[in-house]
Amino acid sequence: MNVNKRIIRVLVVIALLFLALASYLLWFNMFRAQSVYTNSYNRRQWESEQKIKRGSIYSSEGELLAETEIGSDGSRIRRYPRGRLYSHVIGYSSQVYGKTQLEMTRDSDLIGKGNIGLTIGDIRPGNDLHLTILDYLQEYAYDQLDGRHGAIVAIEPTTGQILAMVSLPDFDPSSIEEDWEEIMEDPDSPFLARATRGLYPPGSTYKIATSAAVYENGRTTETFDDPGVFKKGDVEVSNYGGEAFGSIDIKTAFEESSNYVFCSLGYEMGADGVRAEAEKFGVNKDIEFDIPTSKSEIQYKRMTDLDAALVSIGQGGLVMTPLHVAMMGAAIANGGRMMKPYLVETVTTENGTVIGQTRPSVLYESAGAACAAYVQDMMIGVVEEGTGTTAQIDGITVAGKTGTAETESGEDHSWFVGYAPAESPRICVAVLLENNGTPGGRTAAPIARNIMRRFLNE
Amino acid sequence: MGIERLKSVSYRKPAYLLILLDALGFLLLFMNKDYNLNVLYTGAAVLALFLTMYTVLVLGRMGDKFIMLMVFMLISIGVLLLCRIDLSYGFRQIVWILVGGAVFFIAYFVYYKVKVWNKLWYLYFIGGTLLFLITLVLGDTVNGSRNWISIGSVISFQPSEITKILFIMCLACYASGSWSKPVFGKVAPKWAALIITYIFVGFLVLQRDWGTILVMFSIYLFMIYVYEPDRKLLVLNIIALVVIGLLGWKFLYHIQVRIANWLDPWSDISNRGYQISQSLFAIASGGYFGSGLGNGSPYYIPLVHSDFIFAAICEEMGVFGGVAVILLFFLIAYRCFKISIMAEDPFDKAVSFGVTVMFALQTFIIIGGVTKMIPLTGITLPFISYGGTSIVISFASLGIIQAISAKTESAESGAAAKERKEERDER
Repeated sequence: MNVNKRIIRVLVVIALLFLALASYLLWFNMFRAQSVYTNSYNRRQWESEQKIKRGSIYSSEGELLAETEIGSDGSRIRRYPRGRLYSHVIGYSSQVYGKTQLEMTRDSDLIGKGNIGLTIGDIRPGNDLHLTILDYLQEYAYDQLDGRHGAIVAIEPTTGQILAMVSLPDFDPSSIEEDWEEIMEDPDSPFLARATRGLYPPGSTYKIATSAAVYENGRTTETFDDPGVFKKGDVEVSNYGGEAFGSIDIKTAFEESSNYVFCSLGYEMGADGVRAEAEKFGVNKDIEFDIPTSKSEIQYKRMTDLDAALVSIGQGGLVMTPLHVAMMGAAIANGGRMMKPYLVETVTTENGTVIGQTRPSVLYESAGAACAAYVQDMMIGVVEEGTGTTAQIDGITVAGKTGTAETESGEDHSWFVGYAPAESPRICVAVLLENNGTPGGRTAAPIARNIMRRFLNE
Repeated sequence: MGIERLKSVSYRKPAYLLILLDALGFLLLFMNKDYNLNVLYTGAAVLALFLTMYTVLVLGRMGDKFIMLMVFMLISIGVLLLCRIDLSYGFRQIVWILVGGAVFFIAYFVYYKVKVWNKLWYLYFIGGTLLFLITLVLGDTVNGSRNWISIGSVISFQPSEITKILFIMCLACYASGSWSKPVFGKVAPKWAALIITYIFVGFLVLQRDWGTILVMFSIYLFMIYVYEPDRKLLVLNIIALVVIGLLGWKFLYHIQVRIANWLDPWSDISNRGYQISQSLFAIASGGYFGSGLGNGSPYYIPLVHSDFIFAAICEEMGVFGGVAVILLFFLIAYRCFKISIMAEDPFDKAVSFGVTVMFALQTFIIIGGVTKMIPLTGITLPFISYGGTSIVISFASLGIIQAISAKTESAESGAAAKERKEERDER
């Protein structure tokens, strides 16, 4: 009898092994298959493309962004009529170097996988992608960046639609095979999509999240005596330019971007409090997006309260992607609800039948409506009378926050995140100028203002 | 009572489903292969073999009726894919199934009739050792393992497949307690079994047949887990396994390569990572429902007709198809475990247990290997992979299992008949 009992136990072990096999197979198909399939060594993808015409990609207005031409000898050329403008959104599709960005993640749509071919031998068309990006705004943002290294992300706060997304430096996706060596050796890493993969300290723009925590802890009415420097243990942080504000309330501290006040608040909230607030805004979590993103995170193994003080002003171990900073601003604009960002509005067949549509969805409830209104009020103050006056637009209320993030090596990063109109936000813009060395209010804010104005005037 | 219930579960419906799968599958392939009639002949041959064997099995009351159904489901899927990859593999596989079927009945009757199996441990040991020696002297190296023997140029086979069965029979002698006399008056059977295991594993190391080592050693471990009251032996053996594994990893180049390929096949994709990455490409391209029979590109996968056939299944029948195959294997293992639990004779119990564990582990190791869940060690997928030795030995082990099942059933029905007779007498 004892023997049978043990045999049953062995049966259970074997059952678990088989269960593991089946689960692994499903897991592989869900999470690994796509990146494995698009490996350039996989001959299948090119073979399947011999039978199809890869789909085109269009902007929101219907501007052609990518298409495939088939030569008389059957050779295929992937053309990108807008040149470099979308290199960090659409990516490239190369037989030698594989695929990146939308060309990779939406590969099965573009090659029309699952479409049923009614005729044999004919070339089947793939499906087309229609993006949320406005081509005119994308070009305008590109020109605004004017060759400087950095990123611009414009997002619609109520839906999460990406209206424009630019990263510089970039590359020409149509000549990737000739330029490969040169791009790979370039120390400025043109292949890094800074808007989605670049991780930067967000600087004072992160005070948006810290203020949300201030509201939730019921500390909005406190005043501080700001000596200009926050000094505790071996940490010493001074206000921008070393200015001492004296007796100051939180609203003014936000508008003037007092590091002393926000470091003190962060220190008092402690490591757990600061981390919890960051996670409400999606820090330490993967952002599911149409193209690969890096995870914004607080990079401490063990975070102390002093570390928390630094994180509260967007320094220390905190790094975020420009996309994520834009989402943080957009969450406040949208009454505290962070929407899931997306790039692909619809997928259609060659003759225009819609076969896939992205619906807006809430990613995180980052803050309550009253809390968002409180933060918005301070953000309006920043533009009206604080560090971000350069973001003002005639006749329109703009809310925003500047940031000037110190880096371990090199010049400061200049930041601005803002949205307009504050009463019913239609666009939120985040601007990052990498190692620009200027305060965000001077350089980044005017860029964001121009983009918002251009969009609202359209 | 038990028999009444067994009868009420119909084996007809699954049989019809199997016929339907064959009909649809081969018809689809027929159209896909430019209406090549040979496809239909192959399909008809599979069906004919199934119907003949199954009829004999049912009418002859040869034990469990469900295992054979599931086995032929696997065989059908295998032949279908082999035909799709290369028709000539399909034909030759049919021949092997024919031979395998014959061996199945031979194994069945020989095992059923002969009563002294549990006394012959030394014959199994000597037989196994001889097979190893022959392989070492005459063997050919195929895919890095020196475990093939060719006779003439037509027939080649892997003796280690036979050795596995001999090994199980030998262990079963010890496990069932029928081998109780110490060897040379000194070595107790449990130590003798241990020595035999390590000798066999040693031979396999010389042949670099890591997959078989894994299967054999695991059979041994499971066997002593179930049968050996001395827990120390189990613990010591597991420690030995870990130590030997670590030493192998540290010093044996072949094992290092396998581990490195498992952790990261992509960095050396054109050389050592080639096989596994091609297999993963195939699985990734299939998606949930597969490209459909005949629409994928399984030619890119090396050894697709034998070790890597599961990747082709996933490519053309999808991950769901792959999971279905895994479930079939599990159900077969489940039925076999049931037979082992029901068996009354201790030797029969141990043999069916060993054979079942062998079957299940072999499946797990190769499917896990080609999907990169565990390091890849080349062994065949039972009943699906192309190959004479694999098919014939799988059928032989099935014959043994069926014989044990039939013995139990006839003992039960005998007991039931006796009961009924007693009831009548009382009245």
